[in-house]
Amino acid sequence: MAAKAKPDAKKTGKVLKKGLHQRKHKKWTTVRFRRPETKVLPRKPKYARLSVAGKTRLDKFSTFLQPLATEKALKIIETFNTLVFLVDPKSNKKQIKEFAEKLYNIKVTKVNTLIRPDGKKKAFIKISPEYEGVDIANKIGII
Amino acid sequence: MVKVKASELRKKDQDQLKKQVEDLKTELSTLKVAKVAGGAPAKLAKIKVVRKSIATALTVIHEKKLTQVRLDSKGKKYQPLDVRGKRTRAIRRRLTKKQENKLVLRVLKRKQNFPQRRFAVAK
Repeated sequence: MAAKAKPDAKKTGKVLKKGLHQRKHKKWTTVRFRRPETKVLPRKPKYARLSVAGKTRLDKFSTFLQPLATEKALKIIETFNTLVFLVDPKSNKKQIKEFAEKLYNIKVTKVNTLIRPDGKKKAFIKISPEYEGVDIANKIGII
Repeated sequence: MVKVKASELRKKDQDQLKKQVEDLKTELSTLKVAKVAGGAPAKLAKIKVVRKSIATALTVIHEKKLTQVRLDSKGKKYQPLDVRGKRTRAIRRRLTKKQENKLVLRVLKRKQNFPQRRFAVAK
């Protein structure tokens, strides 16, 4: 009886000293303390902040601002089979290629871009040899 | 060219309106090319009209979407923010009429039981 009573007494003694819920202190093995991962709930908004999605600002029409019909540009069309456009500065070569193919029904091999000193983006759109640059320019209306 | 009228656009459905916007945008791109290649003044004057038509068409598209949202969220406690009405920033932050006129129960009971009496003197 006495042997059984002892462990209980020890337990109660500990509880009285340290409280009922005794948290075991985790051993830190590193010098720095990093925030432990806590539960992150997914968002479940009660109402939409923006009920109607806005329109995409860079679509195929708004990338191409205007074609260039300068002497140099015309020369480039004839000799290199390349169209020259002023393009939205936020567009990238991939977009320019995709949209040019869609808009003008051509196949684009390569796009080079540069940003002019006045802040506008110039795109040199090289067309695949199956299409004639001059014909396409005529169709678009540049020449 | 005559500007597209919003009242006519409202009769169309979303797909037709999207197509209309696309057509107008292709027209705009050809007009812009004409501007570069030295087009006729008639064409150049058309640019503004086409731009405004695109704007009205997009407005009507947005309007239609919003009316649908309004119908869906009508009567609900939490509505999307653009359905709630913009008013002004200060007005949105004010207390509602209900909140302003709220009284403590004690005061409410007092007012109910001892209202301000009005008497008239009989001639």
